[in-house]
Amino acid sequence: MAEIIIDGITYEFEGQHKLLQFILDQGKEVPFFCYHPSMSAPANCRQCMVKVGQYVKDRETGAYQLDDQGNREVRWFPKLQTSCTLDMTDGMVVHTQETDTLVQRAQKDTLEFILINHPLDCPICDQAGECPLQIQTYKYGPEGSRFEVKKVHKPKRIELGPRVILDAERCINCTRCVRFTDEISKTNQLTITRRGDKNYPITAPGEVFDDPYSMNTVDICPVGALTAADFRFKARVWEMNQTPGLDITNGKGVNVDLWTRDNLVLRITPRFNPDVNDHWMADQGRDVYRLYNENRVSRPSIRLEDTKGSMDDGVAQVKTSWTNALDTLAEVLHENKASTILTIGSPYASVEENYALQKFSSLKGLPSPFFTPHILEGSGDGFLLTDDQAPNTEGCRLLGLEEIDTEEYKKRIKGASVVLMLNDDPIGRDILKASDFKKPFVVVFATNHTDTAKAADLLIPTTCAAEHTASYVNVEGRIQRTFPAKETRYTNRRLDLEMSEGRLDRYGTTFDNWVTEENRIDCKPTWVSLSELSQRLGIPFSFEHARELVAELSSQHPAFEGISFEKMDEERGILLRRAELTT
Amino acid sequence: MSTPLDWKGYEPVLIPKISGLHQIDIYEKNGGYESLREVLLNKTKWPDAVSVVNEVKEANIRGRGGAGFNAGLKWSFMPPVDGGPRYLACNGDESEPGTFKDRKIFEYNPHLFIEGALIAAYAMSISTVYVYIRGEYRSFIQMMEKAVSDAYAKGYIGKNILGSGFSTEMVVHSGAGAYICGEETSLLESLEGKRGYPRVKPPFPAQRGLWGRPTTINNIETLANVPLVIKNGASWFKTIGAETHPGPVLYGISGHVNRPGVYELPSGMPILTLIQDVAGGMRNGKRIKAVIPGGSSTPVLRGDALEGVNMDADSLRQAGSMMGTAGMVIMDEDTDMVEVLWRISKFYHHESCGQCTPCREGTGWLEKILDKIMHGDGETRDLDLLLDVTTQMEGRTICALADAAAWPVRYTISRFREEFEARCRKSVYALA
Repeated sequence: MAEIIIDGITYEFEGQHKLLQFILDQGKEVPFFCYHPSMSAPANCRQCMVKVGQYVKDRETGAYQLDDQGNREVRWFPKLQTSCTLDMTDGMVVHTQETDTLVQRAQKDTLEFILINHPLDCPICDQAGECPLQIQTYKYGPEGSRFEVKKVHKPKRIELGPRVILDAERCINCTRCVRFTDEISKTNQLTITRRGDKNYPITAPGEVFDDPYSMNTVDICPVGALTAADFRFKARVWEMNQTPGLDITNGKGVNVDLWTRDNLVLRITPRFNPDVNDHWMADQGRDVYRLYNENRVSRPSIRLEDTKGSMDDGVAQVKTSWTNALDTLAEVLHENKASTILTIGSPYASVEENYALQKFSSLKGLPSPFFTPHILEGSGDGFLLTDDQAPNTEGCRLLGLEEIDTEEYKKRIKGASVVLMLNDDPIGRDILKASDFKKPFVVVFATNHTDTAKAADLLIPTTCAAEHTASYVNVEGRIQRTFPAKETRYTNRRLDLEMSEGRLDRYGTTFDNWVTEENRIDCKPTWVSLSELSQRLGIPFSFEHARELVAELSSQHPAFEGISFEKMDEERGILLRRAELTT
Repeated sequence: MSTPLDWKGYEPVLIPKISGLHQIDIYEKNGGYESLREVLLNKTKWPDAVSVVNEVKEANIRGRGGAGFNAGLKWSFMPPVDGGPRYLACNGDESEPGTFKDRKIFEYNPHLFIEGALIAAYAMSISTVYVYIRGEYRSFIQMMEKAVSDAYAKGYIGKNILGSGFSTEMVVHSGAGAYICGEETSLLESLEGKRGYPRVKPPFPAQRGLWGRPTTINNIETLANVPLVIKNGASWFKTIGAETHPGPVLYGISGHVNRPGVYELPSGMPILTLIQDVAGGMRNGKRIKAVIPGGSSTPVLRGDALEGVNMDADSLRQAGSMMGTAGMVIMDEDTDMVEVLWRISKFYHHESCGQCTPCREGTGWLEKILDKIMHGDGETRDLDLLLDVTTQMEGRTICALADAAAWPVRYTISRFREEFEARCRKSVYALA
């Protein structure tokens, strides 16, 4: 096996490796800016320089040549090498900044160069706190500046597109954004313009940077040159909590991080998962942070009798207590004939919610739940966007929910006396009209005031993907789970061990952060509401936490055999066997 | 070390004194395209392509674009033919300040170059030749286009050249005004229609060049020497001029001399001879202050250190400079070296492509400090800062532009330090 000696430590390796990636894989560090593991290496930042040599071997015997002290002789390359582009070879000797002052000097020099024309406006820069330039300057940079002449001035606040804003002065010309549009999203919308220290990335004249993946350039920008139009000046990174989650805007199951402050989701960024989305996500998945914060259903609502079947912005719905809402529901379920009560699952709800509904209806003796998928043909792009608009269609199928088309769906609603519906929006999806709700008593477990929620007779607020732990199955049959990022009225960040801990949670007081009570929504997970309902109906159905549902699924449902949240975390999602989808 | 050269009896061969030589008929009458015919058809003398490469390698034509690498050796780096396309890119981007030699070939003897390029294409089994000419040379581009189309009409370029079965195409490509596109890999990027960013080497162009295929890049003057080597033999070529750097050289002499211009003479000419005898001496009989021997990036030589220095790679290296493109800039005693250096730095600042950090930021910094010194606002510590910045730039970038920008600063300051110090305030402060 081939050997490489990095800072005096010998590592074995096989196959082709670039030196920088190998060093990073060993958990060691070499500073860099332009390199990105998913894109080509242009070696233009010149930050990852290391000293490289090769043990001298005797040509005939193949033995190592020794110097006077008996150490192996090293033939050093005449210049420092950029480790990002260097192919590793057997017997290579590498000195990084940890062991070589020449390398330290070179890295410091490069940082000095990068900083001379950088505006150094960290106090007002959104990137501060998560800025590779800032971090590496503190670690490897010079102590002061010797630059006493005028900095180069370049355009600021350029709207490259609807979602991305450029500050060219902050740009260090790493070309990551340009390479992203060339190599990953393949729209080729960005290029570098001008020459020398005047250059910066821009679109062609008159073109708009409307790439459906444009905001990834904001994530990979190693400085604050590209910022998200939506998130600019909203929050400092160290004030926010970072919680793993899932993109719920389509069936791909893109892994994301939810960034919260004061129980508001402020931005959503992609989380690395090589099996699903690599480092990337589509822009549409980032806009849903609004759905988690705004227009939420908080406290149950009930409709006044005379406005039935209309949709007048909730005016006709009045807030009521949980007790009254669940009592009413129990009464309705009791009064109507079981066969005329519909239970409708949802590809927008998690596996646990659908399973809870399925179990509840079988215990109560109701017809088993069905669902209709939300597929928009042609909206997928073969990358991270799918035709499937919902995050859990596959999960509904795996649970064995009856899959019906929209015509059948309409027909069944017409014949029903009571409809019990998980979080979905058939009116917004143009399957139903508000007038279809004239006859049946419609109960919706809703997260947001959608058109369907507005037309409902009884509205039970339910937790969204940012508030509960629950799992979703993507189009490939991969089951992945979310973590609670926001508190509800009934959860507490300091008690729930699954909630993330931010800097202010650890070092601040309660009053530094989570203070605004309105941001905590008055909602409960569907399975909790159903448990409370079951109590009233005398059904043996009681679930406190999604873990109990997962445990039950894991042991009782063949398609979900052996799943657990821990396994999903460790293995970055579990691929469920597709063969069982059909059975 | 130098034997006096018989340069006065030298007959020019690259730009011979024949009127109308740029016309294909006159070129043919004077033995033109004979070397190509020989190479393609005389199978006893030139059995295969390798024999041509070996002859050129033997002649030791050192690249005239500045690096001075043996052209034949470069050709031999091309990988074996695999059926896919291979390219020859002829570098006529001639943008180095002080250099104006290739234009003479375009103007007076274009067919010699075309013939050389065709022989090179044959020697390396290349079927497409690109002639990259800087965009500012508009009239020369038109002349080259005419020359190429004439050669096409006569059957020297195209399918089945001279009935030999060898085919190659030649395309004249106009640059768009970037100095960096004279760097061989950014020239390839430019030919591909991209931004002129130099490429990371390895892979070298011989492995992966134009459109990822094997490519050789040669300077125009280098290729113009090839037909002469084929015609007269490598041994003849090696008798011309300096032993380690043989052959005719186009000296582009500019600056404060009486007769500036391009002179074709053997390599290894003493610099003082070139100034005094060839270029007619210094203007107004002034003393020589400084000489830049091979284009603005080569280290400047002091006027009082020119005795015994010849224009060949070895002699110039001993003197502390380089051959470069043999574009000599002669400066007299009235020259302001601070301003000269500022102007050179301004050029490199303007032309840095901006890809690598040290060059992008360093070139601008150098210019700004020099600007400060030139306007009398500098301090002596700024000179040390300048030298520091050059150290930080040298050898840390993808291409050699950072070196080209750093060397003039380093050597002009170290060789004319007193002049720079005289322009600076002292960085010494009273302790009171």
